[in-house]
Amino acid sequence: MDEARTPFDDLPGDLMIWVLIVSELLVFGAGLAAFLAVRLTDPAGFAAAQDHLHRAGAGFNTLVLVTSGWLAALGARAVEVGHIARARWQLAAAAALGLVFLAIKGVEYADKAAQGIGVETHPFFTFYYLITGFHAAHVAAGVLVLLLVALRGRPREVEAGAAFWHMVDLVWVLVFPVIYLLR
Amino acid sequence: MRHPSPTRAWATLIALSAGSTALAVAVTGGGLAGAPLAAAGAAILTLAWAKARTILNAYLRLEEAPAFRRGFGLTLALYAALLLGLYLAG
Repeated sequence: MDEARTPFDDLPGDLMIWVLIVSELLVFGAGLAAFLAVRLTDPAGFAAAQDHLHRAGAGFNTLVLVTSGWLAALGARAVEVGHIARARWQLAAAAALGLVFLAIKGVEYADKAAQGIGVETHPFFTFYYLITGFHAAHVAAGVLVLLLVALRGRPREVEAGAAFWHMVDLVWVLVFPVIYLLR
Repeated sequence: MRHPSPTRAWATLIALSAGSTALAVAVTGGGLAGAPLAAAGAAILTLAWAKARTILNAYLRLEEAPAFRRGFGLTLALYAALLLGLYLAG
């Protein structure tokens, strides 16, 4: 007997990856809203602190992550139609760009450390390290996930891995303007 | 079912990111203050909302599930409005 269809059957990919995506979006969404709420208490201090950030580097990292997401999407589509070898290369390239993102983030953190800027320097930097650090941890996990699903080459796993990577991408396109650009 | 093109989505995201960067350069150049500065901030948030929608609809394939696309789209719009309100209140 066929199981009854539910509205969730229309969702692309597994329901559980969407549960994960929504959970992560809620966590980062709350963090960014809290950041802007605390900014209300000291707008000038937040603007002065923001001037210590390297906007060009973060902007370049946006291009890196967006391009990485594109490669992951291409890889997911390739594995669907049986082009496993092509999918593996695209997913590996997506993971490599994830490493580029982390390397640039590492340079950014090292620069802050050299300036003597830490978590307790100003509330701006508490949020900065918390939100971007948590995001970087997701990027690191995503790189491992992409490499793992590329190695196994199974369509459902690749789709789930790519969806996780797109979530990381989605979070960054919200983090970048709020933390680095808004004055 | 025809999938949304990842390459078109990528081009859209690059163009929107370039728009955000151009606005940020104008803002940090010190040429904007008061209402124009707030308008630039609102535009930056609007571009971020558009980028998030593109990722949800094209990369995460919500284009294929219209009911979920509308639900996520509405929630995202409300969240962007919350961020905009908090930004403008500052």
